[in-house]
Amino acid sequence: MEVSRPPVAPGPGPAALPRVPPPLAAPRPALPERLRRGWRRHWLDVALVVPLAAYILGFTLLPVLQSIALGFTARFGGAFPTLANYEDLFARPDFGLAVLNTVGITLIGVALELVVGLAIALMLARAFPLRGLFRTLVLVPMGVPTLVAGAAMLYIVGVNGYLNELLFRLGLIDAPIYWPQSGPKGMFVIALADMWKTTPIVVLILLAGLEAIPRDVYEAASVDGASAWRQFRDHTLPLLMPAITMAVILRAIDAFRIFDIALVLAGRSVPVMSTFVYFEYFFGNLNTAAGAATVLLLMIVVFVAGYFWLVERRREAV
Amino acid sequence: MSTAWTPGRVGFYALAALFGLLAVAPLAILLKVSLSGPEDVLVQHPPFWIWHPTTEHWAAVLKPEVIWPPLRKSLVVATGTAVLAVVIAAPAAYVIARLPRGWRYGVVLALLFTRMFPEVIIATPIAVTFLRAGLIDTDIGLILAHLIRNLPFVAWILVGTFEVIPRDLEEASWVDGNGRLGTLWSVVLPLALPGIAVAAIFAWLDSWNDLLYAIYLLLAERTLPLMTYYFANRGSVFDVATFSVVLTVPVLVLTLLLQQYIRAGTLGGAVKG
Amino acid sequence: MRAAPLPRYSRRRALGVGAGLLLVAACGGSAEDVLTPEADAGSLRVVMGLAESEWRVVREVVLAPFEQQTGVRVVPVQMEAADLVRQLDAQVQAGAVSIDLFTQDNNQLAPLVAKGLVEDLTPYADLIPAETPQALRPVLEFDGRLYFLPYRPNVQITYYLEPHFAQYGLTPPQTWDELLAVGRAFEAREKFGRVVIQGVPGGPVGVVVTEFLWQGGGDPLELTAPGSARAFEFLQQLEPYLSPVYQTAKFDTINTYLASETAYLGQNWPFGADVIVKQYRKQGVGAYSGWAGPAGEFHVLGGEVIGIPRGTPRREQALEFARFLMSRPVQEALVQRLAWPPMRDDAFGAVAEWQQPFFAAVQAALRQARARPNVVYWGEVERVLSDAFRDIVTNKQPVPPTLARYQAQIEQARAAAR
Repeated sequence: MEVSRPPVAPGPGPAALPRVPPPLAAPRPALPERLRRGWRRHWLDVALVVPLAAYILGFTLLPVLQSIALGFTARFGGAFPTLANYEDLFARPDFGLAVLNTVGITLIGVALELVVGLAIALMLARAFPLRGLFRTLVLVPMGVPTLVAGAAMLYIVGVNGYLNELLFRLGLIDAPIYWPQSGPKGMFVIALADMWKTTPIVVLILLAGLEAIPRDVYEAASVDGASAWRQFRDHTLPLLMPAITMAVILRAIDAFRIFDIALVLAGRSVPVMSTFVYFEYFFGNLNTAAGAATVLLLMIVVFVAGYFWLVERRREAV
Repeated sequence: MSTAWTPGRVGFYALAALFGLLAVAPLAILLKVSLSGPEDVLVQHPPFWIWHPTTEHWAAVLKPEVIWPPLRKSLVVATGTAVLAVVIAAPAAYVIARLPRGWRYGVVLALLFTRMFPEVIIATPIAVTFLRAGLIDTDIGLILAHLIRNLPFVAWILVGTFEVIPRDLEEASWVDGNGRLGTLWSVVLPLALPGIAVAAIFAWLDSWNDLLYAIYLLLAERTLPLMTYYFANRGSVFDVATFSVVLTVPVLVLTLLLQQYIRAGTLGGAVKG
Repeated sequence: MRAAPLPRYSRRRALGVGAGLLLVAACGGSAEDVLTPEADAGSLRVVMGLAESEWRVVREVVLAPFEQQTGVRVVPVQMEAADLVRQLDAQVQAGAVSIDLFTQDNNQLAPLVAKGLVEDLTPYADLIPAETPQALRPVLEFDGRLYFLPYRPNVQITYYLEPHFAQYGLTPPQTWDELLAVGRAFEAREKFGRVVIQGVPGGPVGVVVTEFLWQGGGDPLELTAPGSARAFEFLQQLEPYLSPVYQTAKFDTINTYLASETAYLGQNWPFGADVIVKQYRKQGVGAYSGWAGPAGEFHVLGGEVIGIPRGTPRREQALEFARFLMSRPVQEALVQRLAWPPMRDDAFGAVAEWQQPFFAAVQAALRQARARPNVVYWGEVERVLSDAFRDIVTNKQPVPPTLARYQAQIEQARAAAR
């Protein structure tokens, strides 16, 4: 199954195939004739693709454009284009809070997921008894609905929840901590709740990357007498970069769009971009909702573009 | 591997046990709460064990008039989404799989690109449009919304499925005199069925779990996730746990069944490529 | 992926399962659409927003007897207050009104009147029994015309957890100073606030702030009055000693906070007793009417009133049903079975023993109850109060300039309403 891959740096490519000269043929017919022939041959293909294409155009691309346009339309009077909604948004403290929370949760979440995911992937790459059981257990959260992950976390990070209870029994605190509040605590617990459900995906991606590394790389390194850590850092990690990149991009995009968990766990106390948009819609402020959604889209695009640009620079330096 | 219990090995197993425990603890907690009396949950220091087991929460939830409306809606919408997603995406995936390499990459890339859009940017205008079209609260409206997210993903999986089917089989069938449609139906489709089943199950699961479109598009009727959110919002501690379990059990069952298809190898091709 | 094709029976089975599921769903049927007008002249569609336990009682003591006495069948429909406004709006605009009578939270009446969704009942003013207390009447009128009929008054009471008060030798606070002292005492000893108020923006905060404003001698429509400023200053002072969960506390979640002992003192509507004591089996829960500010003890009069949608074809039967709801036997039954305070002075009913302290608290609080200002722009006022609460109490912004800013917004709303 082929998918997009990170761009390869320009350089000597694979050996070029010998060019086969085109067969001597009659001069190509005129365009209308070519189109007619093409249609006769391919009308079925077009018919098969049209539903999907139409659906994506009408139900995905069109709404996105509508949202963007709506964000530039004034709320009262419908003047277009106008920056009034964005002025309004950037002046509001809860919007800035939503942006901050979203970025914070993404950073904390992706970092934690990478570390824990890598640890689990490395463990799964080894053969040990009960590996099958371990693998099944670790993949269980992946199947759980995101909402349920959030609901379960309610019993853990609530004031009378098990996290506080655990900390209390360990003697680390003597008064309950209120986790789901604005600030680092709130970001941390939402990232934690999200991480429970999404680390399995990171594990799978990294595991696939690990299993793709040929064995001889390790053997060569062992012969050199390198320690396990150096082996990992100098040999495994660079070869794992494509997998890590894929994991980071996938996870970051999803983390920016976090909705279910933030809504259930913290509601309006710890707003993230998606829940902010929803609450704006819920209170009837369609234009600011669309504006905020556009800002979120921009954040995602900037991140992805920025990440690829960074990776490009790193490759060129290497 | 040597069988000595070095500190490294002990640490390894301890860590594995910890991760395994953390992976299932939240679900166990949900189940525990759904079976516990208020004395075990509504206290400042909740116990880790059930001292006051009770079935009253399950009895209250499993009444037909309570559980059936959201369950019915979730079932209908999920099944409809799975069926329609396959019906719309499979033919297109077949065509895409037969495109020359460069085009195929481009199209698949474009499909995955749609994944970058935050759903709220689509849901807000969709909700307004559906409101005007009278599709709020309807099953078909929610199905249409769920397709938005699932069509690209199902198409992506099915492109991989159709790629693997050798063209020679098709060509042999054409040579035999079957038309293109006939070949599709009798030769290609049976071979693609396992992949289609997997894609359909993914779509079904995604629709079953959806909260965002449900929250935008449903006012009077609710799906199971929406019921769970409704109870979470009201602080009904026990109903949240019980409905969560109802919501999760089919998902767990189906996901464990699907596990054999989510091999490292499947994603390995993606990473290597 | 396997190369061998699936046997044909698997294909058929898959299709069969899919079709079967859809068939089951179709037979299960979607929720009965009770809101489309039917040519059923003999039945009355009545909308109320009740819990399941309340519906059971209402069906038994109200709907069934009415049917027996008049032969008119009543079809009950469950709907929350906000959804009712939307539904009526859609129906009246479409000219197809199928709701004949509704009971509505009296904090949500303004939009109904503003959008012209209810019948003018001024000609039927004599339907209101003479035994109705005067305090319940202002909320029924807008601009001098009668739009609603009294049904059941309601008021918040103050719940507290006796064991925790006894543990520190504290008593439930009766004044603002005592409230502050209790808050400080709990927070100092437990390093966690144990007093909670309903801080969710909108309705919940609106009620809390209005009560504090009145208790301080101020008014929700005059935020710059000295009494209003005093109330906000007090709340700002109290905030550090509140339980942090106050930001997510509203009429339903606060029951969980009290029951789980996250907070030991909080105010909520009387139905909370049913949840905390009966459903969650909490021991040691006490109740009283609440605390008084410098200007006295005041509570927002809540509850429900009866309304009749404009353009309903069965107006006479609806009025008949309204009269039945306000009659003494029905009001007494509602007191006895649901502990709902009656809207008439002559309705007495014996309440279950465990409910007695709560019912006593409700009646004491009702004596200090006052209706909110009955202005059509109350929704805007609620929003202003919520924002002012957030800015001043949660974010500790200075009181006078903030109040001045928000008072300007209230003036704007008042001007726009004319």
